[in-house]
Amino acid sequence: MSTMSLNTLSPYISEILLALMLVCVAWATLFDRHLLRACSMFVVFALTLTLAWWRLQTPWLAFAELIFGGVLTSLAFFYVLGVVPLASPLLPKRDGLVETWSHAGVRAVLALSWLALLLVALYALTPTFADAFEGNPLIVAGAVMVASGLGAFALHRHLLRRLLAFNVLGSGVFLFLAGLAGTLVKVQALIVVGLLVAWLGTLLGALLIRRIYMLQGQQALADGDAKEAE
Amino acid sequence: MIARWGLWEVPLPALASTSWLMMISVLLPVALGVLGSCFPPRRVWPVLLAGTSLMAVGVALLASVMMAGAQLVSFSLGSIPIALRLNGVAVLMLLVTQLIAVATALYTPGMLRQMAPLALGRWLWGLMGALVATLSLIWMAVDLLTLYFALELMGLCAVGMLLLSGKSDALVAGTRYLLLALVGSLAYLLGVALILGRWETLSLIALAEQHVSGPVAWIAAALMGAGLALKAALFPLHAWLAPVHVNAWTPVSALHAALVIKASLYILLMLWSLLLPASEAVPFMMAVLGTLAIVWGGLSAWRADSLKVLVASSTVAQLGYLMLVFPLLLAPDISAQAQQLAWEGYWLLLIGHALAKAAMFMAAGNLIFATGESTLKGLAGTSRRLPLSLLVFGLASVTLMGLPPSAGFIAKWQLLHAMILTTQWWMVVVLLMGTLLTAAYVFRLFRYSFIDSAPRHEFKRLSPEMDVIALFLALAALMLGLFAYWPLTLLEGGL
Amino acid sequence: MAWLPLVTLAVSLVAAAIIFWLPEHAWHRRTWVNLAAAVIKLMLVGFIILRIVNGHEDTFSLPVVENVAFVLRADALGVMFAGLSSLLWLCTTIYAIGYLEDSPNRKRFFGFFSLCVASTLGIALAGNLFTFVIFYEMLTLSTYPLVVHRGNEKALAAGRVYLRYTLTAGVVLLLGVVWLHSLAGSLAFSEVPSLIHYLPDYGMQLSMIFVLLVGGLGVKAAIVPLHGWLPRAMVAPAPVSALLHAVAVVKAGAFGILRVVYDVYGIELTVALGMNTLLAVIASITIIYGSLRAIAQQELKPLLAFSTISQVSYVILGVSLFGPSGTIGALVHLLHQGLMKVTLFFCAGNYAEELGIHRIDDLNGAGRRMPLTSIAFTVGALGMIGLPPIAGFISKWYLGVGAIQANMHTVVLVLVLSSMLNALYFFPVLYRLWFCQGPAHGQGKWPEERRLGRLETSGWLLWPTMLTALISVLAGLFAGLPFSPLEWAIRVAALEYLP
Repeated sequence: MSTMSLNTLSPYISEILLALMLVCVAWATLFDRHLLRACSMFVVFALTLTLAWWRLQTPWLAFAELIFGGVLTSLAFFYVLGVVPLASPLLPKRDGLVETWSHAGVRAVLALSWLALLLVALYALTPTFADAFEGNPLIVAGAVMVASGLGAFALHRHLLRRLLAFNVLGSGVFLFLAGLAGTLVKVQALIVVGLLVAWLGTLLGALLIRRIYMLQGQQALADGDAKEAE
Repeated sequence: MIARWGLWEVPLPALASTSWLMMISVLLPVALGVLGSCFPPRRVWPVLLAGTSLMAVGVALLASVMMAGAQLVSFSLGSIPIALRLNGVAVLMLLVTQLIAVATALYTPGMLRQMAPLALGRWLWGLMGALVATLSLIWMAVDLLTLYFALELMGLCAVGMLLLSGKSDALVAGTRYLLLALVGSLAYLLGVALILGRWETLSLIALAEQHVSGPVAWIAAALMGAGLALKAALFPLHAWLAPVHVNAWTPVSALHAALVIKASLYILLMLWSLLLPASEAVPFMMAVLGTLAIVWGGLSAWRADSLKVLVASSTVAQLGYLMLVFPLLLAPDISAQAQQLAWEGYWLLLIGHALAKAAMFMAAGNLIFATGESTLKGLAGTSRRLPLSLLVFGLASVTLMGLPPSAGFIAKWQLLHAMILTTQWWMVVVLLMGTLLTAAYVFRLFRYSFIDSAPRHEFKRLSPEMDVIALFLALAALMLGLFAYWPLTLLEGGL
Repeated sequence: MAWLPLVTLAVSLVAAAIIFWLPEHAWHRRTWVNLAAAVIKLMLVGFIILRIVNGHEDTFSLPVVENVAFVLRADALGVMFAGLSSLLWLCTTIYAIGYLEDSPNRKRFFGFFSLCVASTLGIALAGNLFTFVIFYEMLTLSTYPLVVHRGNEKALAAGRVYLRYTLTAGVVLLLGVVWLHSLAGSLAFSEVPSLIHYLPDYGMQLSMIFVLLVGGLGVKAAIVPLHGWLPRAMVAPAPVSALLHAVAVVKAGAFGILRVVYDVYGIELTVALGMNTLLAVIASITIIYGSLRAIAQQELKPLLAFSTISQVSYVILGVSLFGPSGTIGALVHLLHQGLMKVTLFFCAGNYAEELGIHRIDDLNGAGRRMPLTSIAFTVGALGMIGLPPIAGFISKWYLGVGAIQANMHTVVLVLVLSSMLNALYFFPVLYRLWFCQGPAHGQGKWPEERRLGRLETSGWLLWPTMLTALISVLAGLFAGLPFSPLEWAIRVAALEYLP
């Protein structure tokens, strides 16, 4: 897929397609229990996001996303899996932790309802924002990514999947930010700082997960309480 | 409130030296940190030398404020404007930060020397330097971008430092802290998105001029508030705090509890005084949560078996007091006199707690290190063998209890006065009950320490400076009460 | 000489710091520091007294927050209490050095002992309620390690009860003080309080604040029903009990009530609020209750404890009479009771140390074995009952005259009744001391006899006891001379009534 072909389509439809694709890839990243596949999907997600930034005419952001998201963060994930330094011990392939339904349900409902409230409030209370939502499918994609990222963050107990969820959530927030506030220089600066922080955080998290795995083979936090995730 | 935060276009131009001093105050800790990482100091005197140079910058900034009043300095990075302001509150917090940072840095070589040689000790210096730099930036920054940048970097440094002890419990606790802090920062960023979308500015001063209000401001305040409250370990979001502290190195705990969580609280209060200028319900809700925090934190400290859990839980309770003050600061119908009293009380409480909590963590670390026991019961009979560490703990807890003549007492005096003036009797009851609850858990430790029939342990020897530095901080918190007049003049509106 | 009160206060603080810094085994150095500090302080207080006689009043002031200052002021009433505390500190220090010989944790003990005396002096010299609260709380904290000094289960339990009572009281007092501050601004102690102007508008609030203040102070003054901590705190070593009862804690409470009534509210306002009746009633109840409980005691120290509860309320009773004689009685009793009670506690300590006697039954014939101590005890006991020529008679006399002047005949009745009750619990003890046959006459054995010195007991223990007993007699005999407690009390009362 190239930018050329996207640009030849009508801009609105191409944005809708991009938004749909982002959401689909995000969901695949978030809800696949096969960890290697999820991480690979994250690479695709980052590349799609690069396209989205390109589409929004912010080449610097596209570049930053490519470097931080597509390369560095993905490398961190593969490091956790044990893929990257070759011949290091591999993490188990699948996330085998099963939450009880009631527990998980309560968490997910809490996270999502909180977010839904926020979006409804935004949509209903501010006409300017409502316009922004309608004219810009990417901002909707951002909102959906925020919602599903938050939900997944609350739901999962596997540390790697929580880290993935955080990254998707972050990307959603950046899109949302760009959609609401336009692509002014200061917005771009904010997003670049955000990308940098997200990468540093992911890197630190990756080192930690790897270390904990080496120390005790533990993949989840002992009693992670997702309500704090709000 | 806007004037108190210094969020207004200062009429006079800043002194020429101020911008340089500001830059140095941010960059010098980083440079010193890097230096420390490359050549880890083994003795106290190089640290003292470095610390003195850092404090000199702080004092110079103080002199600048005393001479020229509040000042605003604008830098620009490419086409991104960055504004820093220097006012009484900022310079006060800056000095406290430098003081506590230097004290913890002086404590560190002694601690590292006593432990088995650790390669990780090297990292501590660099992270400490970066942490102090970001903290200094936070006290001075007045735009959302700089605040975001400094807040995030501070959070990452803090996580890094907390992990250095390398135990697997520390790693698990640290990972949870990291994930929550990262998500909290995204909540903050969502709030920034709303503000940017609605008012198209990142500058707090511009926001103050526009008198922002309305639903967008509320939602942004809620989002940012949630994110910052998570980082500040405010009551319902405090669960990560105790496990993190139990496993961390002593100087790291001291810095974290004294300053890092306060920085988030600082930003929270500053943003809310901008975004929620006339809200009654939200500050009231904070006060209710603060009440719960005082009770909950007090009870869990009272029930704690481990010394560090006790100290960490007491942080939750003490933050509860700071939350309790929110209505007096933010609610619309508070008289100017009561607001000023609450404002002074708030900062005294915060600074007193910072100094005392740092001292307390050091004293607790010393006790645990010397006895090899981390439980309260294990401390039986320490009053004879480790009187100084225990004395430091006692002096620090005088501040936490709010007994005279400590900073905590003067703060409570001011707050009580403000509460009586505004006839908030329920808050008076909470504040006073909190004092008793604090006394209950603090004296539990002393009861154990006074038991004389306990078997004798082999006590390890402490480096003398480890106790002396803790004593210095505890005394500073204690004497700040009697000599509060001068720091409080810095908190008057105009500066 | 604004620094004079500050220096006087600093002497004990510096002594405490040095003692904490000295190692545990530095017995000689510690003893020298203790004694030197006590003597220097006594001399400084004497100097302040001379300055007051010459009409100078030294005030040290340090602003703390807006409208609130840390003030040390050497006025006549304060110096009266300061003089008592520094004199008795010297005696108690000597006594404690002997009493704690060879016992562990002496460094901790003497350090906090000095802090405790510093706080008492601070209470005496406090120039406003804010400063008073500072030292009042400091006193609570510095006495806790003394109460739990022995470190056994009973001492720790007593310490817990002590803290529960005193910290709660401190909180109540703080609330009262801050409330008063928010109402009236200034909290300075003065002979002509200005609070009366607030009476028409804020009468109700003033009454509530008064109750809070007296409630907060009453815990330390051991007013019934707030007295529960005092008998339990008896587990502390004898010098601590002596200090707690005679000068430090209990007296601090009573002194605080004096300050509140005379120098904050003023006599006029207190009467206008009807608070004198309240004070008279609680004081009378406490006096009778304490005496009755004392009769029932089997051991010497609890007997003395309940006697203290009863005796300290004489001070409050005197305050409630609101006439010059009542005031003089209250003030002079504050001093006299301190002297006599410290003597009694020293004696109790001597019996316990030398002969291992704790129970009253075991005292049979102790007068023969320890005649000097027993004479001192007799002086103290007779003084407590109020027999002339001992100091206690003077105070009861003025209290009685005050009650008659104030037309409060019930109070006269209470005084007579309590004197009879005092006799009822002290005479059996004296009878056992002097007239019963005991181990000294070859019957039975002392519980645990230790020969501590060439005399009947160690000189460190004996001489302070004799000294305080002697002063108690002299204060009664020469009450009319200048600088006697009575003369000073009359001077203070004159300031209150004829400003």
